[in-house]
Parts: sequence; C-alpha cells; structure tokens
Amino acid sequence: MWIWLLGYLVLMAKITAVLTAVMVLAAYLVLVERKLLGRFQVRYGPNRAGIYGILQPVADGIKLLLKEDLVPEGADRAIFLAAPAVVATTALMMFAVVPFGPRLTIGGREIPMVITDINVGLLYVFALSSLGVYGVALGGWASNSKYALLGGIRGAAQMISYELALGLSIVPVVMLAGSFSLVDIVNAQAGLPFILVQPLAFGVFLISAMAETKRIPFDLPEAETELGAGYHTEYSGMRFGLFFLGEYVHMQVMGALVAVFFLGGWRGPVLPPPVWLLVKIVFVVLFMIWVRATLPRLRYDQLMNLGWKVLIPLALVNILITGAFVAA
Amino acid sequence: MPKLIIDNREIEVPEGTKVIKAAEKLGIYIPRFCFHHALGAVGACRVCAVKFQEGPVDGVQMSCMIDAQDGMKVSTADPEAADFRRSVIEWLMLNHPHDCPVCDEGGHCLLQDLTVAGGHGIRRSKGRKRTYTDQYLGPLVYHEMNRCIQCYRCVRFYREYSGYSDLGVTGIAGRVYFGRLREGILESPFAGNLIDICPTGVYTDRPSRYTGRRWDFERTPGVCIHCSLGCRTTVSARYRQVVRVEGRFSQQVNRDFICDRGRYGFYYADRPGRPRNGRINGQTVSAQQAVEEARDRLQRITQEHGPEAVGIIGSARSSLQTLSALVHLCHTTGWQGPVFRNTWIAGAAADAAVRALSPENAFSMREIETADAILAVGADPVNEAPMLALAMRQAQRTGAEIIAIDPRPLDWPFDFAHLACRAEEMEETLASAAERLSASRRPVVICGTEITDDGIVMQAADLVAGLRGSDKRAGLFCTMPQANSFGAALLDESNACAADLADRIETGQIRALAVFESDLWHVFPDRSRLSTALEKLDLLVSVDFLDTPLFENADIGIPSLTVFEAGGIYVNQEGRAQQVRPAHTGGLPIAAAGLGDHPPRSFSPDVPGRDMPAAWAAAFSLSGQAPPETDAQMTAWMRDNFAVLADLAHMEADGVRLFAGRKVSIPDEAQIPEKKPDQFLELLPAPTIFGGEPMSGHSQCLRELAGLPAVWMARADADRLGIADDDRVSLGFENIEVTLNVRISDPMAQGVLVVYRHPDIDWQPAPDGKRIFISEDQIRRIEKA
Amino acid sequence: MIRAVIDIIVSIAAGFYTTGRHLFVRPVTESYPEYKRPLPARSRARIILTRDPEGRERCVACYLCSGVCPVNCISMQAAEDSQGRRYAAWFRINFGRCIYCGLCEQACPTSAIQLTPDFEHIRRDILDMVFEKQDLLVDLCGKDPDYDFYQHAGVVVGLAGKGDHISENPPVNTRTNMP
Ligand code: SF4
Ligand code: SF4
Ligand code: SF4
Ligand code: SF4
Ligand code: FES
Repeated sequence: MWIWLLGYLVLMAKITAVLTAVMVLAAYLVLVERKLLGRFQVRYGPNRAGIYGILQPVADGIKLLLKEDLVPEGADRAIFLAAPAVVATTALMMFAVVPFGPRLTIGGREIPMVITDINVGLLYVFALSSLGVYGVALGGWASNSKYALLGGIRGAAQMISYELALGLSIVPVVMLAGSFSLVDIVNAQAGLPFILVQPLAFGVFLISAMAETKRIPFDLPEAETELGAGYHTEYSGMRFGLFFLGEYVHMQVMGALVAVFFLGGWRGPVLPPPVWLLVKIVFVVLFMIWVRATLPRLRYDQLMNLGWKVLIPLALVNILITGAFVAA
Repeated sequence: MPKLIIDNREIEVPEGTKVIKAAEKLGIYIPRFCFHHALGAVGACRVCAVKFQEGPVDGVQMSCMIDAQDGMKVSTADPEAADFRRSVIEWLMLNHPHDCPVCDEGGHCLLQDLTVAGGHGIRRSKGRKRTYTDQYLGPLVYHEMNRCIQCYRCVRFYREYSGYSDLGVTGIAGRVYFGRLREGILESPFAGNLIDICPTGVYTDRPSRYTGRRWDFERTPGVCIHCSLGCRTTVSARYRQVVRVEGRFSQQVNRDFICDRGRYGFYYADRPGRPRNGRINGQTVSAQQAVEEARDRLQRITQEHGPEAVGIIGSARSSLQTLSALVHLCHTTGWQGPVFRNTWIAGAAADAAVRALSPENAFSMREIETADAILAVGADPVNEAPMLALAMRQAQRTGAEIIAIDPRPLDWPFDFAHLACRAEEMEETLASAAERLSASRRPVVICGTEITDDGIVMQAADLVAGLRGSDKRAGLFCTMPQANSFGAALLDESNACAADLADRIETGQIRALAVFESDLWHVFPDRSRLSTALEKLDLLVSVDFLDTPLFENADIGIPSLTVFEAGGIYVNQEGRAQQVRPAHTGGLPIAAAGLGDHPPRSFSPDVPGRDMPAAWAAAFSLSGQAPPETDAQMTAWMRDNFAVLADLAHMEADGVRLFAGRKVSIPDEAQIPEKKPDQFLELLPAPTIFGGEPMSGHSQCLRELAGLPAVWMARADADRLGIADDDRVSLGFENIEVTLNVRISDPMAQGVLVVYRHPDIDWQPAPDGKRIFISEDQIRRIEKA
Repeated sequence: MIRAVIDIIVSIAAGFYTTGRHLFVRPVTESYPEYKRPLPARSRARIILTRDPEGRERCVACYLCSGVCPVNCISMQAAEDSQGRRYAAWFRINFGRCIYCGLCEQACPTSAIQLTPDFEHIRRDILDMVFEKQDLLVDLCGKDPDYDFYQHAGVVVGLAGKGDHISENPPVNTRTNMP
C-alpha cells in the first residue's frame, strides 16, 4: 500500500517539477523573445519592469489576470470559453512522455526520469498535437467574427498539413530506434545523436515543428496584418493568456522533441541530464526566435506548396533511403 | 416643343425654355450667378457659358440667355466653355475681398462653391482691390458691398419681383453699386429675401450674425405660423436653439420667398423670459408637478361642482394636435368648451370662410399669381398675410387688374384701384365692383376675415360662384387671423367665444379655467371685465410657451413646447394641412445651460428642462389619460377620432387640403353692421405686419421696425378737426384715454380712425360684435412740448 | 535546379547573417524620459491659439477648424465685439478625442490655431482634457509671426477704414458718372 502511495507521491513531484519548469520557462521565453527581437531589430526590447525588464512577465501576468474577460455578442459561449483551455492543456500534456534524465536509483528503487514512459509515446505526442488544433479551430469559429473564423480555418488546414510532414519525418528515427517510446529513442542515441545520421529528417522536422507552433514564417492563422489577431482576435484577459501560454509551451514541446529525436535528449557531458535537456530546448527555441526575426511570412499557397510538394516528398524519400539502409 | 441634345442626351422642352433650364431637367446643373428661376435671366454674370456645337447657335454662349431650339447640340463640359467659366470666376475674384472667414455666407455661398469648383484656390493677381462703403440697411439686413459680383439679383428681386423701389443700382462701369438710393433702412417687408437671393455675402442676416455656419446647423423643414398663409420655411437650429429661418420652395404656397415676419418671428422661442418650469401659486416647480397638480385640482372641482364648472380655452395659434386634444378633453370630461374664438365676430367670419371654401373655388397662392383680375375686400395682405402681396404683385406684373375695397390706408407694392369705404358700405361697394370682374377669365376674390363680418364673406363666396363658368375659373381666397384659424374652425363645435365663458364665470357657473396657448389679455376686448372675472375663479391654469400676463397671473402655469420643439400640423387659410417637424430637442439651450461663458463642463445624457410637455400631451394629462407616445401615433389618433381630419392620411409634399364639406348659405340672421352716427368716428383696430402678432411681437428686431404707435385718419376728417400730419392727439372712449401720433392718408375711408396693433399699445379695442365709435369732441389735439 | 537551391540557401543565410549581426550592434533607441529629443517646430501635439503681431486674438471663430476636424473635437461660438471684430466667445478642444492630425491648422485662414511639439499633456481625468479658450490662448504669434488676417480681409474692424487695408484702393465714388 505505502509503496503505491510513494509511487504516487513521486509522480506528483515529477509532474510539479516539470509543470513549474515549463511554465516559468514559458513566461521567460516571452521576455527573452521580446528582448531578442528587440536586439535583432537594433532596439532594446522591454526594459522598464525591473532591471533589464526582468519583471516584465510578472507585469504581463498581472495585467492579463486583471483584464476584463469579454465574450463577444453572438459567440458560442461554451465553446468560446473552453477553446483556450484545450490549446493550453494539450500543449502541457505532451510533456508527460519527454524523458529528462536516465533512471535514477534511490534507496534501491528505480525512478524513471520521465513522468510516464508509455511505449507509444510518440503516437501520444502526435495525438495531442492534433487535438490542439481543435482549440484553434473552435476558438476561431466560436468567436462569431470573420477574422477569427478565417484564422481558425487557416490554423486547422495548416496544422493538419504539417502534421503529416512532421510524422513522416520521424519515421526513420523510429526505424533506427526500433521503438515508439521516447525513452528508448533517447537511449538509442547513446552513440551518435540522430541529427548526424538523419540530417534531412532533422530539417524536415524542424520546419514542420515551426509550422505546427504557428510561428513566423508560418503564422498565417494569426497574421495580424491581415486578420487582426486571427483566431484569438476576440479573446481578452486570461483567456488570451492561455492561448499565449499554449503557444510558448508548444514551442518548448517542439524544442524537447527535437532534442529527444535528434540531439540525444538529455545526454551530454559534464552537466546533469535535465540541464542538458533544458539547454537543448532553449537552443532550439532561440533558433526559432532568430527565424522569426529574419524570415517574412509565407503566402498561403507557398505554405501549402512547401508542405505538400516539398516536405512530404522529402520525408518519404528519406524513409525509403533509411529503410534501404536498415534492411541492408 | 423643341428637341435638343445636351451632353449627348436628348430632351424635349416647352417653347421658350432657356437652355439652362432644359439642362436642369436632365439633372445637369450649369453654374450660374445671375439666373434665378423666380427672377429669370439677365445675362450679367457670364458664368453659365456652354458650347453650342451644332444647330442655330454656334460657339460659346450664355445658356441662360438662349432659348432651346430644335437641332441644338450643347456641351457643358467642352474645354473651351469650361475655360471660359473658370476665367469668369477668376475675374470676379480680382476684386472680391478675402474675408470668407468672417463672412456669414461662407459655407453656403454660391461664389465660394464655384470658385472652389473652378480650381481657383489661390489668387494670382497682385493688383489692388476695389472697395465700397457700406450702408446701414436696418435691423434685419447687413450690407458689405465689397463682396458684390454685380449679378443684379438683388435689384431684380427688390424692384421687379416685390415692387419696392428704395433699393437700386447706381454708378457706372467698375463702380456699380447696389444699395439704397438714399440713407435709411429698407422699406420692404420682404427685404430678408435679399439674404437668400444674393449669391455672395453682400446681404447677410443681421440678427443671427456670426452665430454659426450652415454645416453646423440642424436644418429642418418647417412651416411659418405667423400668419394664416403657412409659408414653407427651413429652420436652422444649433445648440438647442433656433438661429435662422429661411424660405423653402413650395409649389403651391409661397414659392421661394417668405416675409420678414416669418423670417424673424421665431425669437419668442428662446427669449430669456420664456417659461421653462411649472409654477404653482407663484412657486417654481417642475413641469410634471404642475401638470399633476392641475389634474388633481381640476378633478376636485369637477367632483364638487360638476363638469360644467370647468372651462377650456384654446387658440388658433396652437397646432392641430393641440386643438383636437382639447376637443377630446372636453368630450371625455364634460368640461365646457373648448373655446377657440377670441371674439365672436372674427370667429364668425373665419367660420363662414371655412364653410364657403371648397375644392372647386379655393385658390392657392400659386393660382393667384396667374389670375387676371383680383378683387380684395376687407383684406390688407401686406399687414395680414404678407406673402399674398407678392403673389398679387406677380399677377399685376402679368397684367391683372386689382381692386381693393377697404377702409384702411393701403400701402401695397403694386398698382391697384382703392375703393375706400366703411364697413357698412362694403356690401354695396362689393356688389357694384363685381361688374368689373365679369370680363376676366381667371378672377379671384380675396376676402379678409379680421375687419369684416361673415356677411361679407358669404357675399364674396356667392360672387365667386356667380363668376364661374364653363370657360372661366374663378377663385376665392380668404385670409384668416392666425396660423391655424382654419383648423380651429374645422374642429370648433361650440361656436362660443371667450366672452361667453366670461359670462358664465361672472355668474359663478364656471369656477376653473384652463387656457391653452392663448393670451386672453391680448385678445379679450374688455380688460377690466376680464380681470374681475378671472379674480372670481377658484383655479386658473395656463399652458403656454410665452410668458403672457395670463401665465404670470395663473394659479398653475404649465410650460409647453414651441412648434420648433414639438412640431405639429397647421392648416392654412386655404385648408392646406402642412406638417412641421421638430427642429431640435426641447430643453434649455446650451448657451443658457452653461453657467460660464461656455457650455457646461460635464458629461450627462440628460438635457436640462427636457420635461416640458407639448400642449397636446398636457391636454391628455389633465384628464388623467396617457397621451399617444409618438407623433405618428398622435396623427393616427387624430385621423381615427375626427372625421374632418381623416384626409391627413394623404399628406404629401405640398400638404393635404382639408375642407369642411359644408354648404355655403346665407346666415339666418344677416349681420347688418351698425350705421356710423354723425359726429362720430369709427375706431378700427387693424392687424399689422410687425409687432401686432403675439409671437413675432417678441422679436426685438421686428419691434424696431414697428415704429411708433399711430392713428391714421383721412385727410378730409383731419382738415375738419384741424389736425395735421405728425400731430399728437388723445382719444377718449370707454373710459380709456390714449395718446397717439397722427398719420394722415388720402386714399382711406372717411369717418374711420385706423389704429394698427402695436406692442406698445396695451389696450385691445377689438370689437366684440359691435363697433367702437368715438365722438368727435373726444379727439383732442395735444400741443407739442 | 541545384543553382536555385543554392541561391535560396545563400539568400536565407544572408538574412540570418544580417539579423544575427544586429545582436552585436548598439541599439539606436533613445530612451524616452531620460533623454528628450528636441522636436521640430512642425511636430503635431498640443494645440494653441496664437495672437497676431499686435497681441490681439487671431482666431475669428470661422468654424473652419471645427468643420474640418475629422473627430469633431473642436467647438466654439462666434461673436462680434464692439469694433465689429469677429471672435470666439468660447472655444473648446476636447483633447480626449483629438488625433493630432493637424487638419485644423491647415484649414485655419488666420494662422490662429497651431499644433506645438508639446506632446506631454496627459491628464488623469478625461474632463481635464477638455481645454477651454483660456487654456488654449498663448501670448505668441507662433509659426507665422507677421500675419494679421484683418489687415487683408477688407472688413472694417477698427484697424483702418474701407480702402485703407493692405492692397486696397480707396472706396469708389458712386455718385459720379465721370470716368
Ligand atoms: S449685391 Fe448680391 S445680389 Fe446684388 S448684384 Fe451684388 S452680388 Fe448680386
Ligand atoms: S406671409 Fe405669413 S406665413 Fe408667410 S412668412 Fe410671412 S408671416 Fe409667415
Ligand atoms: S489636430 Fe486633427 S483631430 Fe485634433 S483638433 Fe485638429 S483637426 Fe481635430
Ligand atoms: S480655423 Fe482658425 S480662425 Fe477659424 S475658428 Fe479655427 S482657429 Fe479660429
Ligand atoms: S447665369 Fe447666365 S449670365 Fe449669369
């Protein structure tokens, strides 16, 4: 009995630790992004709340919490209210299968440094990622606003398209690791990180990941120059905050997946494993920010061309090549 | 019917139509300064140039000067013509001052519009500008001659259209000057139209000088209620205040112009003394409280003494809404009245006129313009219904013969034959003058109802009936005392007059009186009798928008809305019901609401003083009924409840004609006026254009024009009594002693003293069915100090 | 084909190089309250009513500024003084609404209304943003120091008689027909 209880406690501790880390990181990623964008554009970025704007996330949080929560007239209330939660929850839940260290042995018991290691972890991640689209599409639809609706439709189309490339690009990794479990995939990279083995898969995955997170240059669902703010045009206060949080958590998830699939997960010399994972995540996210500062938004047809006519064929070719090698 | 092509579109127009008019029919507006559809063309400004490309005329020509002819091909946009027009405007601007910012015409100025349209935004000439000295033209019109562009519209209107000659054109070449020929103020009571007609800012409105720009005004179609003609107006309001009234085109009534009484008569609406709060026994309360108090006390008196103890008085200056609400009020409560007639005689004449007018014989003012013979009996249009004088002038310009039968010294702006006679001689004179109409094809008989009795009206109606024939169209046109006299006569069932109520007050039958928009002091013949009668009342309620002496003395005063705030329907003297829309929301003007020198510094959705009711709403409330909520519901209610008003449903742009549908009949007891005794003179109080009418009498600018109160007498009488022009005399009659200046006139009836109503004359010797005679020895000349 | 791919890669790389290099460049931002940059005279912020060179109010209450204002934030009442001068009895600008577009200044025929570089006029209470004439009127001529509208307008307002203003001929004699 107490063993069960202990296991439960350990699980709770892991969840708490991961959630805290993810949330704090999300908050500060916002700040880092704004600061970095500032510097990329030869300006300062936020520097008024605390030194170097260190308290900006706090100020933003307070502001979002205190703002009035508006529901537009004619909106589908229930769906409108639930949509942001869908986006944020699915993003957060994906972290459940990301391993952040090797098994730890405490008092003779082995504790896996992952919240839960399911053997189809990879499918779980993709399933949740697909569910996240509902938040965007429904939020956009329920707002009773043309901008939000267009944003929602664009979001759904784009995320479903890129999910394919994302999934296909990872097939060679699975073939190499021989498992759907993220823990096994990390373990399979004990020798070489897959980025060296599968550079093409890495490229396709990274580009699709950015599209999945709806970030520039793939931010058509919220293209502010055309659609106001796209699917979350009508949201305010903390509900808008949830969309925002979802986006940044999503970035981290994608960073973590890149790290797990291609960069050897938590593996690395000297530093403790969770730190290595963190470093890799941040590294990927910083790269996304740089991309945002550099590339212009794609047009819708370009976006679809890139997905269907370039990335998916590339991924398929890659599977064939890898298959040939694995079989050989 | 010539056919021509203008800008590639074909149109057929009647013979003699100018090209500029033909283009207008196609919706093409050719620029113009001097051409005006009421005044015609003179070709003075040269800005209407168009290019004649084919046909009998060739090249760039003035479209206002050339008759449309078959085979013409005209282009308004031809570059040559456009250049010509552009240059014309630039030349005009050589001497035009650059003072648009301080010119009241700016914003609705034809010259400004065309200058901008021609693209002449910056003056290229470096030359010096011509200047003129200006004249003081009186309290109504401001003169700034520098702005003139020599279009001659003003003199054409003033001299040709309206027939006055004190304004004209002097000078030659580059020194042409438009103004009065001698020092002094404008004599025409239509001078205000110069403001509308001048295409630039030479003549601007003096009373509303510098109050605002037209684009800031709320402009509402209105109807003038200062006489019975019901001319159409455009009311400009700003900041909850009427600032300007202009003429509005009407096909059947006034055409383009209005008189100065109609233009400047609105100042009663926001004068400082206007009641805006309720009043109970001298205490200021809210309007609603006053209404409730009046309702409760009237009900108490009804319960204690029966419904006969309450009397209701209305007047013909109220809207049809108010009049019908009063009739309804008396129906439902059993109260006495409503009484609409001030005096029995005036009411009887107006009532006879309403009965006599029918769709067959009633002429509109438009039809008077085309009459070929006019007989006016007991009517003085300039003083009673000013715009009628302009209509008659147009008839006279086309050759109509005009005959006037009237005791007064008539001063009309056209030639006419004056058969001066006293009231008792009128019938005979009318009968003999009727001969002179027999040869005409479109004769009109104009009949007044203020100094005549119903017998004369009947006789005039019979005369018209006799003149009608298969190839002849004869018309009857009656002027009436007030804006809604026709409507009041339509709804009046009791035929009682104020004096009848006074009888019943004196006998104690009536204990409470509610007076709606009527100033008994102004209209009741016998003032001392009135004040003792009113003393006897238990309750006197006054509902009014004027601070009349009656309102001041009433136990309960209820402020009501003016026509500018409540709108309403008014029926003019030819039976034409016309709708007036409210021009602005009721409530204190912004200027009065701000305590400092600017509007209040606060945000509030409330309008101070907004709770004043329309008089008709107050009438409903007095019996405890809820008034209809909207104007449209009120109109529907009137249609449903009064058979004579059913035609209101067919209200069109020109209004709708309502007729009583009663037969003309000689009255049972013919009213034969008393004979004037020898050694006596008849005192005849007469209406006058400025100052005599209760509402416009409050306009300061019109009072200035009213001059001094005077008594007019015929030269023969004056010579006999040894009185000279400009003497002061004292008149004694009925315990009253007044001192007046004497004016002597040749063409007026002998044996009559005419006193025009004047705001400074506070006695009202209006005849109460009987005429006033002054013994000759009661007329004494006073030595000048 | 290969060239095209190389071109794409090179141009994208150039973009990344450009933005990346910015990380090591000093930001050009001027930090506002610490450093206040002197603004050119034609900057558009708080509005004033100026006076003519003789110190008289320039505004003639012509309603052009209020007419042109796209947000209707100017209101006034014109009046006439004993000299015949048209002036504003009251003049009000609601800065809570003003968008500082400068159209009023362009429309003003007398150079009375002018926008100034003083943009730091924020108030806590919206009613304090409603400026009356006395708040707007300054003792300066502003940007057009020599202009005096009434010297050019030709109406008599106590400065000079008919024909005595700038660029005017003496009044014509209308009582003679001599050329
Ligand atoms: S004063 Fe006016 S109407 Fe008369 S000629 Fe001059 S511009 Fe025309
Ligand atoms: S003629 Fe009578 S109705 Fe017409 S404007 Fe004059 S007062 Fe008014
Ligand atoms: S700057 Fe523009 S918005 Fe402001 S008062 Fe002037 S015209 Fe109006
Ligand atoms: S435009 Fe100029 S002169 Fe005219 S009202 Fe405005 S500030 Fe005064
Ligand atoms: S309108 Fe034809 S010349 Fe003036």
